[in-house]
Amino acid sequence: MDPVTNTIIRDGKQSVINPYDRFALELALQIKERLGGSVVVVSMGIPATARILKEALSCGADEAVLLSDRAFAGADTLATSYTLQLGIRKMEQRLGKFDLVLCGRMAIDGDTAQIGPELAEQLGIPHITDVEELLEVSQERLVCCRLADGERQKVSAPFPVLLTVNKDINQPRLPNIKGVLWAETAPLHLWNAAEVGADLKRCGLTGSPTQVVRTHVPLREQECKVLQGSVVEQLKVLQRLLKGED
Amino acid sequence: MVNEFIKLEGTSLESLIRTMDDSLAEVLRDESRNSGRAESVSFPKNEEEVLAVLAFCRSQGISITVQGARTGLAAAAVPYGGHVLNCSKMNQVMGCRQDEQGRFILTCQPGVILSEFKKAIDQKNFRTTHWSEASQGSFEKFRKAERQFFPPDPTEASATIGGMAACNASGARTFAYQSMRAHVDRVRMVLTTGKIVDVRRGQAKANGRSLELSLLPEGRLMLDLPTYQMPKTKNAAGYYVEDDMDAVDLLVGSDGTLGVMTEIDCILIPHPAFIWGVSCFFPGEQEAVDFVIAARRQVAGLVALESFDGNALQLLREQRLRSSAFSRLPHVPEDYGYCIYAELHGSEEGRMLEALKRLGELAEGAGGNPESTWVARNEADLALLQFFRHAVPESTNLLIDRRKQVCPVITKLSTDMSVPDDKLRDVIALYRRGLAEVGLESAAWGHIGNNHIHVNLLPRDEDEFGRGKALYQRWAEAVVAMGGAVAAEHGIGKTKVAMLRSMYGEKHIQEMRAVKKAFDPLQLLGQGNLFPVEGGAQQ
Repeated sequence: MDPVTNTIIRDGKQSVINPYDRFALELALQIKERLGGSVVVVSMGIPATARILKEALSCGADEAVLLSDRAFAGADTLATSYTLQLGIRKMEQRLGKFDLVLCGRMAIDGDTAQIGPELAEQLGIPHITDVEELLEVSQERLVCCRLADGERQKVSAPFPVLLTVNKDINQPRLPNIKGVLWAETAPLHLWNAAEVGADLKRCGLTGSPTQVVRTHVPLREQECKVLQGSVVEQLKVLQRLLKGED
Repeated sequence: MVNEFIKLEGTSLESLIRTMDDSLAEVLRDESRNSGRAESVSFPKNEEEVLAVLAFCRSQGISITVQGARTGLAAAAVPYGGHVLNCSKMNQVMGCRQDEQGRFILTCQPGVILSEFKKAIDQKNFRTTHWSEASQGSFEKFRKAERQFFPPDPTEASATIGGMAACNASGARTFAYQSMRAHVDRVRMVLTTGKIVDVRRGQAKANGRSLELSLLPEGRLMLDLPTYQMPKTKNAAGYYVEDDMDAVDLLVGSDGTLGVMTEIDCILIPHPAFIWGVSCFFPGEQEAVDFVIAARRQVAGLVALESFDGNALQLLREQRLRSSAFSRLPHVPEDYGYCIYAELHGSEEGRMLEALKRLGELAEGAGGNPESTWVARNEADLALLQFFRHAVPESTNLLIDRRKQVCPVITKLSTDMSVPDDKLRDVIALYRRGLAEVGLESAAWGHIGNNHIHVNLLPRDEDEFGRGKALYQRWAEAVVAMGGAVAAEHGIGKTKVAMLRSMYGEKHIQEMRAVKKAFDPLQLLGQGNLFPVEGGAQQ
């Protein structure tokens, strides 16, 4: 974390697909393989995010949408979900209404898990969080199992619906050579704020009610001590430590 | 002998040299699954303590076996009695410098663990408090420089730098980057005589086959190097010798027989901007070998070509279902009969994509399918493919451990032989013929790009174990006749002493022994490594 700006330092780090999103992508690809249809991946980010979307395309997604504009910078989860919703709606104008929107349970960089539910609200569709198993799926509806406070809850929902998925719901595939090469020329739509008709007051930092006041790195207060010597010597030291004498 | 140690009361040696007891039993074994015996153990932290241990052993005529992390597969670290000098506590990176070519060079104690070393390089994070001013200055430049890379990559990343230097370890990337030897710039080695050899690459070169080495604090060592010609293949069998050779090359790969390395200077290179791993699956071995032969000639940026035969893939399928620790292994479809892992390194994404495309074309041309491939282009996916690679030997070890419970005498019999490029098909045919004749279960994997496949014989009982050993020895003789090496990366250690003799013959073995005697006149070090124990039966 940058202690001055309270933002995540991403310089020099290789960006990858959020691991939870890989489970969501894999689930989408498996449903497509069973029932047909198409998979579109949507993200908001800097232009370099296109590389991550190409990774999703190489795994089997059909099209990708990258929402990128300076006006989107500094967005919290509310502004991000607003922007993503605009991208989805614009894509729907061409492809028709989506049946299913899949999100990873949470982001592992900022540890936020609000995007999925907020996006569902923005789209005006129901959502099911923390899905850990898809039990049934047809052209009209799905039945899944979600984890709720340590309990497994079976939920059925008609389409359209949004799910956020837990890790280990499946084993995400690796792309193959054909997929990687195809992804280089696959449809990747790069849209800015004007192209999706964004209300700038609801985008980026301006549209973000969340303010990070302060960040700090937790101090490591545990200390590891390796005891040496014979077993008897080690036991003596351990005894002293447990008594608080050392 | 134990009593001799007890007499040391009141000296610093008393705490340094410990009498062997059950709590120390792990030092009697290594990853080869062999075990030995010892009377005492030490864990020195610095060169001074190594000198003290060696002086004591010399004074008492006690043999010494040097150990790192005991991950070796040829039993070089397994003691045949005497003292075990374990280097695991000499685990500090001691300094940094830049050479004339601008390369960064890090000085390691022998017990530095490879995975930790690589992590520290990547994070540019070393404990520099005790480094010299010059080292700290070089480290500042290192911190500001582009990301750095240490290429040697034996499958076992918990190996130590000292162990890797002792057996001239290599790994998948040796295909492009060569073995450990090429990445060592300097070795400092303490001899059993109490003298020290400290040589930097380029400073001490042989004249033909005569080599003169300066000793510290004073003295010289005059060596007549062995006269054999080494095979033109990947090779870790016996001492490295060639005309006008560099002294560093003799010390690296000496299998713990010449001295105790106390400092090893490791050469770094700039980290490749792109590292991609590609697992290509084929219906069978023939198609996979055709692919390998074509790919190693035609694909730019290729740094590794690794193979997994059908039996190895089947072991993985079973292990994945058997153990939760292996459940994250990718599923290998039943119709995937053979796997070749190719790794590409490069600086431009466009060229990487061209190389990937070429790999796909060659796979298809050889009877594979570009869709029957796994491509890893980020660290997490690469780690998954490395886990896949590592899981194969782990699975065979677990299988043998289960069988050992029924028949304790058996061990895994893993070959480590290489042949020249034009003999790849011949050596594979040799292995398949032998396996069919003897009817042994096996799994084969390894560094097919270097014509270096580890055929693992998996005996079920003592009879199969005996037949496996005989088969291995026959293969070794055939490999030597092909111009190959009987040990390509694990070293000779104790398990392949007879094969070294098959490879070089008695005259050259005696020439090697003469070199050892010059370094270690009492022949205390590494008893049983490279040479049979004189006047005693091997264990």
